[in-house]
Amino acid sequence: MQRRRSVSSASSPTKRTTFSEEPTRAEPASDAGDDKKHGGLLARLDVAGWLKDVTKAEWDILLVSTCLKLLLFPAYRSTDFEVHRNWLAITHSLPMSRWYYDATSEWTLDYPPFFAYFEKLLSIPASFVDPKIVELTNLNYDSWSVIAYQRATVIATELVLALALQRFIRGAVDPSIQRIISASLFLHPGFLIVDHIHFQYNGFMFGILLWSILMARNGNKLASGFLFAVLLNFKHIYMYLAPAYFVYLLRAFCLSPSGELLPGRFLSLANAVILVFLASLGPFLLMGQLPQLLSRLFPFTRGLNHAYWAPNVWALVTAADRVLLKVAQIFNIQGLQINDAGVTSTSRGLVGDTVFAVIPNVKPIHTFIITIAFQMIYLVKLWRAPTYKSFVAALTLCGYTSFMFGWHVHEKAILLVLVPLSLLAAENNALFRTFTIASVSGVFSLFPLLFTPAETFVKIAYSLGWAVLTIEPLSKRMYEFPTSLPWVILDGLERLYIAGFALLQLFVTLFPIFARSRVSASVSHNVTACVDGEHCAPGVQNSVEPSALEFLPLMLTSVYCAVGLVWAFVRLSVIYLRQF
Amino acid sequence: MFATIPEAEKPRLTVAASSQSLSAEDHKNTEDTGMARRWTRWMHKQGLRHRVVSLVILFAALVKWCIGLGSYSGQGTPPMFGDYEAQRHWMELTIHLPIREWYTYDLKYWGLDYPPLTAYISWLCGIIGAWVDPSWFALDHSRGIETPASKIYMRATVLACDTLIYVPAIVFFVQSWQGNRSSKTQQVALLTLLLQPGLLLIDFGHFQYNTVMLGLTLTSVSCFAAGHDLLGAVAFVMSLGFKQMALYYAPAIGSYLLAKCLSLGARQGAQLFFQLAATTVATFALLFLPWLPPFAPLSAMLEPIGRIFPFQRGLFEDKVANFWCASNVVLKWRIWMNAPALIKLSAGLTAAGFLPAVVVMLYCGYRLGVASQTAQDLKEIPKPTSRPAPVLPLLPYALLTSSMSFFLFSFQVHEKTILVPLLPLTLLLSGASNNSFSFKLGALVNNVAVFSMWHLLKRDGLALQYLALLILWNRIIGHNPLRIRQKSLMDYLSITVYGICILLHVLETIVPPPSHLPDIYPVLNVLLSTPVFGITWLWSIKRTVEVSWGLGGLGSSSKAISMPPLPGADGLLPNGNPVKLTTPEGVTSSLGLSVGERAAGLRTRSLGHVQGKKSSLRSGSVSTEFD
Repeated sequence: MQRRRSVSSASSPTKRTTFSEEPTRAEPASDAGDDKKHGGLLARLDVAGWLKDVTKAEWDILLVSTCLKLLLFPAYRSTDFEVHRNWLAITHSLPMSRWYYDATSEWTLDYPPFFAYFEKLLSIPASFVDPKIVELTNLNYDSWSVIAYQRATVIATELVLALALQRFIRGAVDPSIQRIISASLFLHPGFLIVDHIHFQYNGFMFGILLWSILMARNGNKLASGFLFAVLLNFKHIYMYLAPAYFVYLLRAFCLSPSGELLPGRFLSLANAVILVFLASLGPFLLMGQLPQLLSRLFPFTRGLNHAYWAPNVWALVTAADRVLLKVAQIFNIQGLQINDAGVTSTSRGLVGDTVFAVIPNVKPIHTFIITIAFQMIYLVKLWRAPTYKSFVAALTLCGYTSFMFGWHVHEKAILLVLVPLSLLAAENNALFRTFTIASVSGVFSLFPLLFTPAETFVKIAYSLGWAVLTIEPLSKRMYEFPTSLPWVILDGLERLYIAGFALLQLFVTLFPIFARSRVSASVSHNVTACVDGEHCAPGVQNSVEPSALEFLPLMLTSVYCAVGLVWAFVRLSVIYLRQF
Repeated sequence: MFATIPEAEKPRLTVAASSQSLSAEDHKNTEDTGMARRWTRWMHKQGLRHRVVSLVILFAALVKWCIGLGSYSGQGTPPMFGDYEAQRHWMELTIHLPIREWYTYDLKYWGLDYPPLTAYISWLCGIIGAWVDPSWFALDHSRGIETPASKIYMRATVLACDTLIYVPAIVFFVQSWQGNRSSKTQQVALLTLLLQPGLLLIDFGHFQYNTVMLGLTLTSVSCFAAGHDLLGAVAFVMSLGFKQMALYYAPAIGSYLLAKCLSLGARQGAQLFFQLAATTVATFALLFLPWLPPFAPLSAMLEPIGRIFPFQRGLFEDKVANFWCASNVVLKWRIWMNAPALIKLSAGLTAAGFLPAVVVMLYCGYRLGVASQTAQDLKEIPKPTSRPAPVLPLLPYALLTSSMSFFLFSFQVHEKTILVPLLPLTLLLSGASNNSFSFKLGALVNNVAVFSMWHLLKRDGLALQYLALLILWNRIIGHNPLRIRQKSLMDYLSITVYGICILLHVLETIVPPPSHLPDIYPVLNVLLSTPVFGITWLWSIKRTVEVSWGLGGLGSSSKAISMPPLPGADGLLPNGNPVKLTTPEGVTSSLGLSVGERAAGLRTRSLGHVQGKKSSLRSGSVSTEFD
């Protein structure tokens, strides 16, 4: 096999392969004119020319994935679907001054104004499709028209992502690798699970993020900063990434290489950002609604862990606390101070405030300090090496740090790590391995979002196919066999860890069947009802009394994924600090 | 996995056979290839060829499951519901009732009317399902149950049957019928067959188990190609025993086996004939055992038989794109004739419809038998029965002719039954190059067949799935309905048909049907689809004759072909490559069958090669339209 491949690759230059290489499209990045051609923020609205620029393989990916997404229209959808429908109704039927005050539904508007404008825009066609969609009091409307319409808007707005990723290929150093990475990002299981089944608009917003990163790559840093400011006003979770943007733009754009301030550039960037924020917040500022808006955006009333523990450091700490408690109870260790509230917290299992029984409790300020401290390390490094690659790595690490140590992190936030990390996947073997571990555990950690049996097969089959198609071609190019014994052992452990996911999935699938026969049917099945979204009704959360047995698969998933994600975090930190 | 030729050897071979379209397929300009080929090519280039088959099966399973997320026939329509409830009801009654009551229990409510294998499989599914949750199949109480969990279980049974029977059958088919094609071509064929939109929509959307019946028939056809006639006969009887629609194939299968007996000569032929007869009867007896003595009186057989062949029903139901329904617009058959006369007429027309295939097959088998007999007698070598009959290349066309004639002319046909003729047509399409007539016709008929089921699918709430599957499949095979590639009759025909299809869809959404013609859109649909199916039937007969001529089974020139077997004629050649076919005469194909036949006959052995030959001529700037 090996021999054959090498022979065939020797003879392959005669072949034309559209899927991976299109010689006419392989433009080297060094082409300076290219940046101007593709890099302009307002790329010429040459639709016909642009359509001609799309290769057959790109059409293939777009059409096939769209068909699959169409088939997913009837799939499970979380409360986020109703959240967004309610926002359509709010923005359509209320004057702007009421947007951030309305509380007809429990799903109040809690995204920044650009997203509200975006919903306003979407609500106009919606009112033609079916006027009932935008009726404010028509709560939990779930006719086919609203499902088809909202699902279709997700697919349509995701074209921003497709466009940004397609632009990434043009002008990449190695287009054939960038093609794999772009395709893998467009087809990312995270987007399929979170956007097309669970329901959100991440594809659209990550499209803006990637567009902004693309501008940075193409040397148009002003546009990059502008787009990031726009993105922040769509969804404030991207603030996790803001420190890297701030340092990078300041160092690489506003300062000269020798460290002198370039006032012209600084002012233009500052103006651009201020303009964006004015466009977004201005109306509300004028109406004096800023405090109300901010209180909607930042509700500091949530616990350390989300219902289902996001697979981060706190998941490991919480799990360690649970284990220590058991140990303390069994061996009756006197020296340990056991917090009674923590004991009840463990029996409650998964929701509400997490209170530790053995380990000292964590306050929001602690998580904040740890996050900032870690980010500072990377930012200092970025300041010293303000290159594009370094910027993407620091960006990833900023998101990663927030995910690892943040307060009330949601598991969906892992996309903030996986998306920029993918751009670095093909840099070298070390980064590729990091990408593999983080992607596999990150995607798996999203699985509990879809707890319905019908979607179980979809998420597993799709993710498996995606992993094979992404990781294997890259692995063929990247993989280097470890040279020293410690690395061989580490390599083997990492492989073992990834193989362990098959067992974990088996356990998660089979456990409920066996648990059901042991636990009486009286146990509430509502447990899972709240694992699905950040918009869980607080009342529901507290009323649920789940059995520890039902929580076990979730906890195990969270802890197992956390191990991989923490390890990938350590890897990435070390690689960044040593190699960039 | 299927690779017979190392990649590296291809360029060399290509030079050796530059005129051959078969080996040129990798180097042809990529203009006319579909996504399936682009993707497999990319996979091979990435060194992932060993992953292609498993990924294709995984992707197909994903698509099937996603279709299943949608609604099914009769969802939320009490009191009778639809096919879904029928299948579920059979699981319910088979696990609760003694076998003798299966065909007699409460016939008004979806009484069992499929042959016993369906009942047995229903029983198995029911037993497993009842173990998971007994309420899904509680006798009488579970009627119309529509819980999400029971739906998932029912969908899972279809996917499981499909994965256990149809998918392996397709893999087996591709290996046995296209074994001498490149692995990429085989993988493309696999994708084409696995994602056939009509079948997926009906089985995984509407809800039926056609893949089992079709998979068993396909297995039997592949068994014939591999020379295992008895196994093939068993598989076909099981197919018949699963769903009586497999009867549409029976004339073709029967005449193939008979032709093989004929071609073997008197002694061996008779031996094989009796073996086949005994196997067939034994398999049938085994399937119907509970209704046969000593387990039941002989009259008990009438219960399943009477249910399986319901002649008391009408000539046709709903709006089906066959001869009767289409001509009914002008000719009011049911007023002119009584039911028995209609049954006779339809039986006569059906027989007349499939007779050409049967006659050609038998005559061709006989002629080839006689022709090679002289050569055999000279050498006094007994003919091996483990090789397929020389008329094997006729089999797909015969299957198509016979099933299409049943669809067009027989009694009590449903619109879903178009899946039966679609199978052989898609088999032919899967082996054809993108420019060939077979490919274009196959793609057109597949699309029109899905279109002909539009009103059924719309009623089931599967309009979105209908659209998605059509786009997906056409993109994958590389068929753009709205583009004229060559200025040929076929291209104009297909674009006209597609134009009318789209027009009808548009009209249906914006113009409500007039009150005195409420069925105008279904009728127009039938009037468009029927001629397309009719053309397919005629084309199939024409191809049967052409291929048999190519085999040398017709005409006097066939006597000149006898050649002594060449060395290496047993089994695969060292690199079993298709290019060998270009040598003038008598060398084997990788199927390992070739005792002295001329090259034309050999070429036709490979399914797609019949078309490949034509397109190679065409690419050699011969622009004459052959078909």
